[in-house]
Amino acid sequence: MTMSQEQIRDYCKTYLEATACQFLEKSPYHVTVKLSPQADKELTNRPYYWGFVERMGIEPETMSFCFIFDPEKHRALEDASAAPSAGHTDPVLDRHFGAVRPLPVLGPGRIQREEITFGSPRLKQIFAAARQGGRQVYLFENPGHLQRRTLLSAAYEPWLGVQYKLEFCCDVKREELHFLGISLQNGMVDDAFANRLKGKDLIPRLPENVHITPTGLALPVARERLEKLITSRLEDADSAWADAAQERLEEELLLIDSYYRDLLQDPDEERQLAFREQYEARKAEIRWQYEPRIVVSALGSGIFHLRSSL
Amino acid sequence: MNPHQSELDAPAAKPASGKVPIQFDRSWYDELQGRLDKGGPWDDWQLFQLAKQAEEASLVTSFEEMICLKHLQQVTPLPHQVDTARKVLFEMRGRAILADEVGLGKTIEAGLILKEYIVRGLVQKVLILVPASLVLQWVRELNQKFAIPAVAQKKAHSWQNPVVVASIDTAKRDPHRDILLGSEYDMVIVDEAHKLKNKKTTNYQFMLKLRKKYCLLLTATPVQNDLGELFNLITLLKPGQLGGQSDFTSNFVFEKRVPKNGEQLKEELAKIMIRNRRGDGELDFTKRHVKNIEVELSPEEMELYNGVTRFVKDQYQAAGGNLSSMLSLVTLQREVCSSRDAVFVTLVNLAKKLAPDSPLRDRIWELVALIKAIKANSKAEQAMKLIREMDDKVILFTEYRATQEYLLNYFKERNMIAVPYRGGMNRGKKDWMMDLFRGRAQVMIATEAGGEGINLQFCHQMINFDLPWNPMRVEQRIGRVHRLGQQNDVQIYNLSTKGTIEEHILRLLHEKINMFEMVIGQLDVILERFEKGSSLEKSLYKIMLESSSNDEIARKVDSLGQSLEHIRTELDEQADGPGENDGLQQLMGG
Repeated sequence: MTMSQEQIRDYCKTYLEATACQFLEKSPYHVTVKLSPQADKELTNRPYYWGFVERMGIEPETMSFCFIFDPEKHRALEDASAAPSAGHTDPVLDRHFGAVRPLPVLGPGRIQREEITFGSPRLKQIFAAARQGGRQVYLFENPGHLQRRTLLSAAYEPWLGVQYKLEFCCDVKREELHFLGISLQNGMVDDAFANRLKGKDLIPRLPENVHITPTGLALPVARERLEKLITSRLEDADSAWADAAQERLEEELLLIDSYYRDLLQDPDEERQLAFREQYEARKAEIRWQYEPRIVVSALGSGIFHLRSSL
Repeated sequence: MNPHQSELDAPAAKPASGKVPIQFDRSWYDELQGRLDKGGPWDDWQLFQLAKQAEEASLVTSFEEMICLKHLQQVTPLPHQVDTARKVLFEMRGRAILADEVGLGKTIEAGLILKEYIVRGLVQKVLILVPASLVLQWVRELNQKFAIPAVAQKKAHSWQNPVVVASIDTAKRDPHRDILLGSEYDMVIVDEAHKLKNKKTTNYQFMLKLRKKYCLLLTATPVQNDLGELFNLITLLKPGQLGGQSDFTSNFVFEKRVPKNGEQLKEELAKIMIRNRRGDGELDFTKRHVKNIEVELSPEEMELYNGVTRFVKDQYQAAGGNLSSMLSLVTLQREVCSSRDAVFVTLVNLAKKLAPDSPLRDRIWELVALIKAIKANSKAEQAMKLIREMDDKVILFTEYRATQEYLLNYFKERNMIAVPYRGGMNRGKKDWMMDLFRGRAQVMIATEAGGEGINLQFCHQMINFDLPWNPMRVEQRIGRVHRLGQQNDVQIYNLSTKGTIEEHILRLLHEKINMFEMVIGQLDVILERFEKGSSLEKSLYKIMLESSSNDEIARKVDSLGQSLEHIRTELDEQADGPGENDGLQQLMGG
């Protein structure tokens, strides 16, 4: 999977907005922003500075960045706008420094330029920041302003939603994502929970004129049900990959058996011990490399209060 | 619907024969419970969705696909490199010997494989063992080209980093040894792995004990002397791939260097080793064209040359024919073919070391007087003319710092833009010089060809202002320009001064070894065999110092050339020799 330039741009913009950064400049190909304290902490990797600022209680100076998503178009745009003001550099200094400036501009007014591509460390950092800052939520469906004026309060049903990641590992690996939801009211499971949430406006505060139906299902039970569902589906699923991995594993074990068979008969006890050690270590390595296993973890989870469909 | 649900939703194609163990990571649950108990704090819904999107974008959707290519912007791997990486990942299962010939990009292949495993989340902890001189290069390449945060090992605590590059000689020593043997590495990469060929060395024992999941061994010469070496390398990766030691010897070894059952052995090797060779399909290199230009020395220059030659020979006789004490003097003899400036610096340094009353001082001052008499540098004039004529980017190599300075000045006075390049420059300056050369300068004057970092595919003209006496250094020079990615045929100009030792050297390198046009990678094999006795450079010194006439030099250099030629034909015969015992060369190639 990957992301297109546009997707990356939208992604970064959403992140910068969500963290309340101040946009200084925008084009379809780049953004220039002054980071908010939250984003600065997450992206600039200066824990000492932030430790200092917080201990001294002084006003923090956050960094500014120019993130470029389409370098070519951005350059063209820049050239077009910079043309009239050409000659902003000193020709004498230019000759002295050569084709490239030896030092970047430093100081508070400095805007660091960065091209953001899929796989660039900065985008990875933003991904990581989003994962870290978006793990668990507690939300309510926004009923809209009409609900405030109706007589009857609306019934809201609590759901546990879990974003599961399934990793099928052996010496290679494949992953799947499943967003599962389970109603804490009646235990109904929705295996496409993302669809249920689609188009709904979700807000962190309880809206007016709304009541939550009592839960009929304790949280641990809900979790167990979800896990049971996953387990039973995995058991039914195609396990050819695991069988193949198991086969490779056996083959490798046979191979080292053939190599060590004679060596393990070595009359010299000390040497035999050394070989035995090597043999066991190698066997452990092979299991580590090939043994098929499935790891199920949750990337995000939360309680979602949705308008009851009944 | 989530597009990645196919496997879950699909009806079971085949009932599971054995149950695959499932591990549930429930840390999320404890955290959720904790937040519920405390009534928060809760995360932002927008970030929650972004996290989901990030996860979807970086999801590994299939077992066998190179996803790392989408993550790489700073490097465009060549087709054979991608093929190699794919084979190692999905057929050899991450344990392999990468044995490409020199210059085909083993590092890129290893980087691709490593990156793929990292992107897939199969590798976190990595150890990369390389010769000490290559540590920084590896760190730089992994960071710049692959965005892999590798660090060079400096202190004991460096080992805690996820990706560490270190020299094997450091790694195997205490206290590092215990730290490393106590850890588990998802991946270990060893560059120049032929250093692990001997089972009895501490290097080998260390590698054997290291706990690793995936492992790559990089070497251009998997077999140097003896088939057993190959067996030892493979035993590090997969003991048993070629059977036990005795099976291997009885099945595959005819003589030390001669395998039997070649076809079968080749098949077995193909399961664990990949060797790309030049000339395989698209890996064809462009041609090299050589032009030797004879420079006539002016009478004053010739005078100096003869003066220096006499001086050096007298000293050699006075020292009783002991070569080792003569090295700085021999340098003089070589420098005099380059520029008077180079000779001057060495002479002055020599004079400083002598006692004030030494009679040698007078002789040195005589030579200095000869230097003063020289008004022009014939070679520099010739070079200038040549560069003006070709009107193209050109790299000029000289062995001497003083010559480099002189030429920079000489060109500058004549309005030719030239930039220097030398080994002593730090990384930043080197890069800057490269940028200047790529941009506005027509000429780069380099004293250093070895080491990495100057890749000048955009330039296809080179001038050897003077010749190193070590053929490997000549090859390194050419290799800067003549490498993968060079689009044009490469023009090589050799300047040699008439009536001097340089003439003989050039003849030896050009006509006898034919090195300027030879397939790269063959030279080291020839030299290695030749230099079982003494190094080629030393043999040349001896010839120069002990011959009484020009003819004698020519004769001796010729016989040297003949023995080199002999080795070469021998190798060629081995390579394409028919017959029942396929040579090693063929085993490695083909």
